[in-house]
Amino acid sequence: MNRNPLTLLVVAILLIVVFGSWLFSFQVRQSEVAVVTTFGKPTGFITNAGWHGRLPPPIQRVWKFDQRVQNFEDHLTEVLTSDSFNVLASVYVGWKISQPSDFYPKFAGTADPMLEAQRVLERLLNNVKSAVVGKHPLSDFVSPTDGGTNLLAIEHEILSSVKSQASANKYGIEVQFLGLKKLQLPEQVTKDVFDRMQSERKVLASKSQYEGEAEAQRIRSEADLKASQMLAKANSQAIQIRGAGEAEAAKSLTVFQQQPELAKFIFSLDALENALKDKTTLVFDRHTPPFDLLGGISTNLLSAPATTTQTPVSGGSATNLTRAQ
Amino acid sequence: MNLLVLLAAGVAGFAVARYCNALAGLVSVVFLGLGGMVAAASWFQMRLEDNERLEQLEFEELAKTHSGSALFEAKDAELFPVKRSREQFERFFIPVFTVVVCLIQAGGAYFLWRWLARPVLVTVVTQPSTALALFGLLALVLFLVGKFSATFARLEDHGLRRPGPVYILLCAYFCFGVALGGVGGEGGLARADLYIARGLCALLALVGLETLVNLVLEMYRPRVKGKVERPLYESRLVGLLGQPEGLITTAAQALDYQFGFKVSETWFYRFFERAISWLLLLQLGALVLSTGVVFIEAGEQGLLERFGNPVPGHTLLEAGAHFKWPWPIDKVYRYRTEQIQTFNVGLTPEAGKESERVVLWTRQHAGGTEDNFIVANRVAGGAEATNDMAGKRTPPVSLITGTIPVAFQITNLLSWAYTNSAAPNLLEDVATREIMRYFVSADMNEVMSYGRLEASETLARRIQAASDGYGLGARIVMVGLQDLHPPVKVAPDYEKVVGATQSKRAKILAAQADSIATNELAGAQAAAIVNRANAVKTETVVGALAKAALFTNQIPAFEAAPSVYVQRAYLRAFAEATPTARKYLLLATNVHDVIQFDLQDKIPYDLMNVTVPPAKK
Repeated sequence: MNRNPLTLLVVAILLIVVFGSWLFSFQVRQSEVAVVTTFGKPTGFITNAGWHGRLPPPIQRVWKFDQRVQNFEDHLTEVLTSDSFNVLASVYVGWKISQPSDFYPKFAGTADPMLEAQRVLERLLNNVKSAVVGKHPLSDFVSPTDGGTNLLAIEHEILSSVKSQASANKYGIEVQFLGLKKLQLPEQVTKDVFDRMQSERKVLASKSQYEGEAEAQRIRSEADLKASQMLAKANSQAIQIRGAGEAEAAKSLTVFQQQPELAKFIFSLDALENALKDKTTLVFDRHTPPFDLLGGISTNLLSAPATTTQTPVSGGSATNLTRAQ
Repeated sequence: MNLLVLLAAGVAGFAVARYCNALAGLVSVVFLGLGGMVAAASWFQMRLEDNERLEQLEFEELAKTHSGSALFEAKDAELFPVKRSREQFERFFIPVFTVVVCLIQAGGAYFLWRWLARPVLVTVVTQPSTALALFGLLALVLFLVGKFSATFARLEDHGLRRPGPVYILLCAYFCFGVALGGVGGEGGLARADLYIARGLCALLALVGLETLVNLVLEMYRPRVKGKVERPLYESRLVGLLGQPEGLITTAAQALDYQFGFKVSETWFYRFFERAISWLLLLQLGALVLSTGVVFIEAGEQGLLERFGNPVPGHTLLEAGAHFKWPWPIDKVYRYRTEQIQTFNVGLTPEAGKESERVVLWTRQHAGGTEDNFIVANRVAGGAEATNDMAGKRTPPVSLITGTIPVAFQITNLLSWAYTNSAAPNLLEDVATREIMRYFVSADMNEVMSYGRLEASETLARRIQAASDGYGLGARIVMVGLQDLHPPVKVAPDYEKVVGATQSKRAKILAAQADSIATNELAGAQAAAIVNRANAVKTETVVGALAKAALFTNQIPAFEAAPSVYVQRAYLRAFAEATPTARKYLLLATNVHDVIQFDLQDKIPYDLMNVTVPPAKK
């Protein structure tokens, strides 16, 4: 294959342009900050975005870092409150590079400077978090009345402490914000809380159950009382009515005084008639009218009135024994 | 010479790669080692062939001077020991050697791939400039030596001289690639070296596969006497990559064979061969120019940056086609700003189980891991009482579980993209924090029941405020609390309380029903009593009046015939009163007999006949 010199020239120019621009310039994004080192010594800190020139490596090298706010969440760690309750807490933190000149020498030698800075910050944070949480009772974290305002104060305490330590150590980073992300209980404590919650529920279930029974009993007894009162009132009313009836009926008794003997006889007959309505066994002799007819003698009750005697008879039932005298 | 160059390059490459932490360089060293092995085998085989040739010449010389001697009537093996050695070498050593090469290729590819996949591996070239310089130098040396050896082998047309130079050339290209990886590290492509190393691993695996196929085919290959055979350990793939110009020759030969005439001698093919460089440049130019147009999809917005700077007036690109300067001058970053995006707080669902249709308190949702949120205990005296009873000191808190979806939309793309490096993560952190902060001061029952909607609105407000505070540029669309419930372990007890409440209500309702029945019946009974009394009263009064009226009428009758009237009244009453009565009549009156009456009632027959079973012992 023959090589065209023009082709080779164009390719060479293209390669020179591409590699030249690559080696002699670099871009910095809006979100980045760049540190230029000359033979390893930091000689320039570029915070404005755009296209910048440089000498080719290894004379000058460019280190770019994200200058936006970085956020990370630390590990969920077990800490002790001032009233000796174990809780698990994790915190999220927002930080950014504030001084590239301080940041670069401390972290640029590592494989991932941003990650290394995060690790340093996390170690610092863990220390501060444990210390601050240990100063507060559990009620500062969990309270039904404060609306979570105590948590804000605790976050502020941790943030202030971390900020001051980061500033004192001149890491070149600024902690922008911090928040308690998770607040949980260790596994064993969680089990105990579950047990307690179950006990509470059992108490509530029993309460409901027996409240129901008690209320039902109360309703029933009130109903019984009301029923008794109604019946008693009705009985009383009935007695009164009967009494009134008797009183009214007594008015007609004067009629019977006109012929008392006849009245007594009639009342006796009524009583006798009523008495013989049920199952009755009668024993007569032949003098008892109308059985006296069997002896051929006529009956005269007015001259010889009948007498009645009652004799108890074995067998439990009363039997009227009538004898004519 | 090839063997010595490969061995020296291998040692130097390993040292430089270790020093610079060039992963691709370390993988290249494996190729250099394999090349050394192959070169050694081919060199030894060549020596045997040369000795065999000398032996043959000596034999022919002797045959001319001692013709007819019995010495030349001996067998081949006795006459040509070197030839026999070469045959033995090709029959036994070469296949075993090829198997060893194949194992090294396959094992090397496997273990290197695993080694590169380790999470703790440092993937950055620590000395990119050194790597660039030294591997560039190594590439140059290998390329020059390889080209010289390859030309020499082609001139001699000796198959056994080919494998060494091919490996040298291939390793020269690999070293050039390692140097480029170093340049990538300098230019911001920190993982370029890792990607090149992985590519080399994949290539090593392919070469191993090819060697295995060659080994299998070798068993069935027809042997043609006199035909020069390709060495078994020589890789065609390595040959193609080491001498890519052979590709065009191979393609031309294939075309000639397929079409039956010399396609490679036509004007088109010759034009194509001449203009291929321009065509490739044109292709490259078209590729670069194509980056000058960008299409933003519906629901997306793009951020346009020129040399890393937002372009004034055109920073935000809406949906549609847009022109821009080609890469790398202008770059566009896309974001889905119209889309309502959602993340879940409190649950990490298990893959494939997100679409459960029935969600119960008593079953783990979506088969995932649910977080327990702490809530303040508001049961009056409950916590302390139950804790004391249980003899434990548990914190006076309760736990609540739930999957809380938070939906959001990006409203300010500049804030979203430029303020925070990981805005979605920060928003999730903020939402989790606000939810946790709300629950620690909330009433569990309220949040789970009637207060759910209000809690949802409050949380949305709080998350929005926190998000604005961090300059996220997002709008919180919804915070869903529809799935809050007690933890799965406690949920059955909560359901029992609900059951007990219903049971309580049922008991009260039953008692109320009984009460109504009792009162109504009592009212009816009372009315009956009063009515009965009224009836008795009426009966008494009316009866008394009737009897009085009757008596008034009976008096004249009685006074008219007192005895007859009485007798008649008696007999009439007797007849009416005793029709059903049992009657005994004693007719004899002048005797002193004792008559005994058994007047008791007879007990019914069937009751007397009941057989009482005997008592069991």
